[in-house]
Amino acid sequence: MDRLLLLGLSHTTAPLEVRERLAFNAAQREAALAQFKARFPQCELVLLSTCNRVEFYAARAVHGTPRNEELIEFVAGFHGLSAQQFTSHLYQKADREMVGHLFHVASSLDSMVLGETQILGQVREAYDSAAQAGTAGPLLNPLFQRAIAVAKQVMHETALSEGRLSVASVAVDYARGIFDHFNDKTVLTIGAGKMAKLVLKHFKALNPGKLLVCNRDPQKAASLAAEFGGEPAAFQRLGEHLVVADIVLSSTGAQQPIITRSQFDLLRRRRRYRRIFLIDIAVPRDIEPAVGQIENVFLYNLDDLQQVVSATQAQRKDVLDAARRIIGQHVETFVGWHRQRQLGPAIRQLYERYHAIAQEELARTLNKLPNLSDAERSHLEDLSRRIVNKLLHDPVHTLRESGADHVPAAQYLHALEKLFALTPEQPPDGSDEQ
Amino acid sequence: MPDIPNAGQLAVLLAAIAAFAIGGLISVARLGVDKERLRIAGKVCFYIGICASAGVLVWHSIDRHSWLPLGDNFDTLIWLALLLALFVAYTQRVHPLRGLDWFVMPIVILFLVFAAVFGRTERHEYVNASWWYVHNVTACCGAVAFAVAGAAGAMYLIANRQLRQKRMNPASRLGSLERLEHITRVAVTLGFAMLTVALVTGLVLALRGSTLGPGWYKQPKVLLAFVAWILYALVLHSPINPSFRGRKTAVLSVVGFVLMIGVLIAVQLMPR
Repeated sequence: MDRLLLLGLSHTTAPLEVRERLAFNAAQREAALAQFKARFPQCELVLLSTCNRVEFYAARAVHGTPRNEELIEFVAGFHGLSAQQFTSHLYQKADREMVGHLFHVASSLDSMVLGETQILGQVREAYDSAAQAGTAGPLLNPLFQRAIAVAKQVMHETALSEGRLSVASVAVDYARGIFDHFNDKTVLTIGAGKMAKLVLKHFKALNPGKLLVCNRDPQKAASLAAEFGGEPAAFQRLGEHLVVADIVLSSTGAQQPIITRSQFDLLRRRRRYRRIFLIDIAVPRDIEPAVGQIENVFLYNLDDLQQVVSATQAQRKDVLDAARRIIGQHVETFVGWHRQRQLGPAIRQLYERYHAIAQEELARTLNKLPNLSDAERSHLEDLSRRIVNKLLHDPVHTLRESGADHVPAAQYLHALEKLFALTPEQPPDGSDEQ
Repeated sequence: MPDIPNAGQLAVLLAAIAAFAIGGLISVARLGVDKERLRIAGKVCFYIGICASAGVLVWHSIDRHSWLPLGDNFDTLIWLALLLALFVAYTQRVHPLRGLDWFVMPIVILFLVFAAVFGRTERHEYVNASWWYVHNVTACCGAVAFAVAGAAGAMYLIANRQLRQKRMNPASRLGSLERLEHITRVAVTLGFAMLTVALVTGLVLALRGSTLGPGWYKQPKVLLAFVAWILYALVLHSPINPSFRGRKTAVLSVVGFVLMIGVLIAVQLMPR
């Protein structure tokens, strides 16, 4: 019997300071999955790390490893942190709750930006990465494939993605609160990732006077600049670009802030104390929070922008209800399928074993009654079969219903295996899970 | 006495105050319920207030047989209020700035209330003296400009605070900081020029011993006006010293306007 487990934290439980410490970039995720596989070869794992959440979706035997404490220790060890620094922000979910949570996450219902589709790509990426690392197996494969399908259905069948308020549009809104016109303004983007492109697209629509694209990789900078009609700018001359910039959009993958308070203090005079709008959508953050305390500097990070976005969620209750209904149906289907998958072999074993015992005892009795007619023998065989079926009916029925009654099926199944001396079946390969 | 407003004029003036006040309340109410009907009702009240104020001026001018504005304090204060209200009307038509009326209309109402309370004064003897007239007109125009600067400065401070606290509500959105600062600067520039002329003409008149008499430089009106002039000079020097831009400019504009109100009160209370 296996369990589906989730351990994680998100924007609802942890501030950006905590999330950025636990975030995994692509290379880190790959390394973490490899380490995990080496340490817990029997456990499946998908690691979802985005700006808003870090979540570990695991599947393991009921009494297998890692336990939650071991998983926390693994994460803390990987990032070189103490577990106390983040355990209070963690949430844990199992089985049905975990499935429901994943479906909500993939459908963006747990996102700050309702209806955003980026999370679906991130879930897919996390799953692909786990599949490549060999940590997604017969349990997590179907779960994540189903999650992706559910998210697509939610997007298609509800108006969730219509009229959504994105982080980018909120950033533009704030920019309008600071500046009156943009044709004499310089927009500087640092980093050339997907998020930067998304926000840049919105700022481009404001027709800024100048657009500078700054990146460590000059080719990427040139490519993005060409796409948006801007100019590539050398990363080494970031300070000079900051002097001329009015709006700065930063989304690099740097592990340390690239714009610090002391650095910015030196630039203020050269900037002639002009207003500047800094948008830091990187996790970990690119700009030291202290920079935002400077007069005429308006610094917004991802959480600041998303708080505005989340305010719109309450206004879309009808759409949310429709999306939740779809998700609820799929959670039931998946949990039912999973239960059948777990219980089926045990129930089959149970019936086979007791029918065999009954047949054995019947044969012994029939040997002592040689004068019985064929009809009488048939009646006795029916009798033994009915007795076995009736004896097993209640426990099997209880077992089948256990999931629906929110009683962990795993506990019953484990007890069944122990009490009736059944041998747990080894999970088949992922190929039969579709 | 034709120079003293009669009960009818005061009644129309009170009607103008009521119309502006109701219009202002409707404008604030639109923060919660932004309905078209409310918008129209607010506008109607606003224009009723403008018409009523203009009506009082016309009636008062007919009564005193003179169309020359700023002939007495009653006339002057209503002119101040009317010019401010017209500024709001013009701005909202040409380049709307949400929330401008929340800040300017209280000043309009304040001027009108001043007119109702202090306005029953005798005709100024200096009306026909050119120095006095220039002094009075420039001081009034300066006061209007500083009222605009003060309102824009207050709006800047609130908008700046909203942006800094990162909980900007689109419904209560004021103009962009850049625009508010621009309005403040333009208003202060105009007001400063006017105030400078008013101070110079006032100085000339004082030195000639026209009205203020000996020790004129110690009088609150003169001192407050001089302090206000220095404050606005500080605001205007921000292009030279850019660290003065933004919040500091806005704070000085608000403080300067408070001083101007002080000057106005001093003028009304001073014995002639």
